[in-house]
Amino acid sequence: MDAVDVSEHYEVTAADNSPSLLSIVLDTNPRAWAALDSSLSLAQAISNILVFVNAHLAFSNANQVAVIAAHVNRAVWLYPALQRPSSTTVKDNSGDVQMQDASAEAHLPPPSANKYPQFAQIESSVFSSIQTLMAETTVQDLDQLTTQLSGALTLALCRINKAAQALSSSDTTLSNAAPVNATAPPPVKGRIVVVSVSDSDPSQYIPTMNAVFAAAHNQVAIDTISLAGDSTFLQQACFNTNGIFLKAANPRGLLTYLMFGLIPDTEARASLITPTHDTVDFRTACFCHGKVVDTGYVCSVCLSIFCSPPDNAECLTCGTVLALGNYGAKPAVLPRKKKKKKKIANGSGREETGSATGTPRP
Amino acid sequence: MSINPSLSLAEYLERLPGTTFKKLYQQPSTTFAIFRRMLPHLAKTFVMRMLFLPHPMTLADLDAWVKPEAKRKKDQSLSILRSLHIVQISAPSKEKPQEIQLMSNFKRSLRLALTGGGNHNSFGVPSSLMVPPEIDLPFLDRYARKKWEDVLHFVVSSVGYKSSLGEGSGPNKGVKELLIAGQLVDRRPNGSLGITQAGFTFLLQEANAQVWTLLLLWLEVLGNNKSSGLDPVDMLSFLFMLASLELGRAYDTNALTEERRNMLPSLVDFGLIYIPQHKRSMFFPTRLATTLTSGGNSLRTISEGVAAATQSAQTSQQSLGLLGGGGTGEQAGSVVIETNYRLYAYTQSALQIAVLALFAKLNMRFPDMVAGRLSRASIRQAINFGITADQIISYLSAHAHEQMHRTAALTNKPVLPPTVVDQIRLWQLENERMKTTSGFLFRDFTDDKDYLDTARFSEEIGVLVWRNDNTRMFFANKHEQIKDFLKSRKKAE
Repeated sequence: MDAVDVSEHYEVTAADNSPSLLSIVLDTNPRAWAALDSSLSLAQAISNILVFVNAHLAFSNANQVAVIAAHVNRAVWLYPALQRPSSTTVKDNSGDVQMQDASAEAHLPPPSANKYPQFAQIESSVFSSIQTLMAETTVQDLDQLTTQLSGALTLALCRINKAAQALSSSDTTLSNAAPVNATAPPPVKGRIVVVSVSDSDPSQYIPTMNAVFAAAHNQVAIDTISLAGDSTFLQQACFNTNGIFLKAANPRGLLTYLMFGLIPDTEARASLITPTHDTVDFRTACFCHGKVVDTGYVCSVCLSIFCSPPDNAECLTCGTVLALGNYGAKPAVLPRKKKKKKKIANGSGREETGSATGTPRP
Repeated sequence: MSINPSLSLAEYLERLPGTTFKKLYQQPSTTFAIFRRMLPHLAKTFVMRMLFLPHPMTLADLDAWVKPEAKRKKDQSLSILRSLHIVQISAPSKEKPQEIQLMSNFKRSLRLALTGGGNHNSFGVPSSLMVPPEIDLPFLDRYARKKWEDVLHFVVSSVGYKSSLGEGSGPNKGVKELLIAGQLVDRRPNGSLGITQAGFTFLLQEANAQVWTLLLLWLEVLGNNKSSGLDPVDMLSFLFMLASLELGRAYDTNALTEERRNMLPSLVDFGLIYIPQHKRSMFFPTRLATTLTSGGNSLRTISEGVAAATQSAQTSQQSLGLLGGGGTGEQAGSVVIETNYRLYAYTQSALQIAVLALFAKLNMRFPDMVAGRLSRASIRQAINFGITADQIISYLSAHAHEQMHRTAALTNKPVLPPTVVDQIRLWQLENERMKTTSGFLFRDFTDDKDYLDTARFSEEIGVLVWRNDNTRMFFANKHEQIKDFLKSRKKAE
């Protein structure tokens, strides 16, 4: 009779095994990979990443994967491959280019009996796309030293968003009527893994951070494995989205870093202790010269950051004329007040930050 | 011949001896399928982390991976990994800490499956012949649905609700005999067939679990029948291989072994594969086969993922319908139940309506919907049929409408209204005031510490059902691992 106890409710909830979508952003900067070639070549790295992709897909047959190359001048889909544009590019109503899960070209190679069919498809798609990409890279492109990271992050977020919408509801009318609750778990566990080999480009600070905040809002974690270079912004990206930042001291062990550090998805991380990094580089890039700065001048109206006071004390972004005050002047020493300090009446203890709300975080 | 009808795949595998697992893990496709289907999420993460480790690692290191509050989850994961012979843990001793590593067979095969090397042909040899153009995905889905529907109709048509189908369209004779041998239906004294309680359990399961139930029955029947010359281990491995094949592709039957070729006719009867009439040397796996490794609820969410969204609504509806549960044109989630016990089902499927009619009083029928309500009388009637409250509740939650899931997610409440769930159970409890759990009683411990340690261990691995510290007794539903634990304790002393 214990079962008819008053307090206990028999909670019947669907088990949480929503699919998990992994987007891999691979930095394909040719210069950076050439510098790294002695320890880890690009081909080896891609093979390692493919094993990692297969491991992710092995978790469940609802899991999905996308691989995006962040190249010197653009971001390119490696998997799912974009359909080769024939004479006219296929566009649907919203102007999106139609994508196919590489099944269209599956008839080309005879599938091997020693490989899971899906793995073979991804492999052939990634390899052929990266060959096309490298063949299309011109000498002029190589003048660029940095990588189009923000574009690749945005593509990855679009993909996750699209998958989430496709899964959440077949009938959009109902979902539009229901209020969107920020605490409700997203239908897809999205995650972006960035394989970074080059420095962060200060000119991309704003688009990158926009992508990062969008990811944080959608509860998408950004993980980074940094093989070389100084990826300041990615450290912040991982910090803001509760992702993992790994600095690979030995790039040759890429597979071990991936399989050990980055295999747990957001669900498994609830019960695992994730690797942490104690120092996060929070420096930002200034808006005027694109320099990475520790301290700078901030416009009190639009929060733009400048490394030196702008000309005529006029904000370059919003045009507000700013009063500079006497910055750098010697502070005057005030005599201490005699009166005993009263307790602060509405003792919020909160510092004046100038804005009513904090930085939006989910 | 005694067969436990409500055997799940996990229970079946757990009973297999370790040598069987060694054989199973020789094939990468089998290893891959067991990994995907049988393990909880955390266990999969553990396996992946250990997969490329060259040396065994200590248990203490594994403990350090896991947050303290998830210790219970970790212990359960480890216990499943051990019972499936995936990891081996060295015996505790004084000089060396306990170490854990993957079984070498399992490790090698899973690595091969992920890296795609070797020459094992375990992912199916594709047929080189021309594929007839009329065989496409909708065709295979229609075919599989028809076959599976026949099986379900055969089971369900033996209860009060008469199906609209004629007698001639039932499943093959072999399948019928299998269902009778598995006690899903039994022969009544007057010669007619009647559904059993196991049959109800079967009906109320999800499609994937239904397929497995039937396949396991089949394995047992053939396994007991030595003259058939079939090796259950090889058959199981073949089924797992089928699960890793690609839907819509033709495979070569000549590449299969003799025994496996002999299995094909039965698999055709179940609707797992399709063999064209005029081309006997190729076979097509259907969706029933290729989704064998997807676990429980992912059947609903998978909906072929993003691909389904880009496909036309028509075909995605069909694929959903096939996977949804009943196998007929029934949608994945179609049942809405309200706190006032009213029930609405958006379905046209005669089968699903028949199942609902078992435990609900249906009073309205529209072209695409039926409405009714749960009442004390209707639940009592269902219980008299031999359906339990748990079965009804799990059926309702498995078939809950998407809107129910959405509202539940928004308000952070359970999917089914708790009042209804509680009331269904109360109605059952009215005439059935006890719940039995089969298991083992442990008592007569020598001292308190002995008792507490063992009880704590059994709680950690999730088998403890009841304990009473005063009398030093506890009750667990499985004893194998407790036995090992007691043995290793003795040794350590």
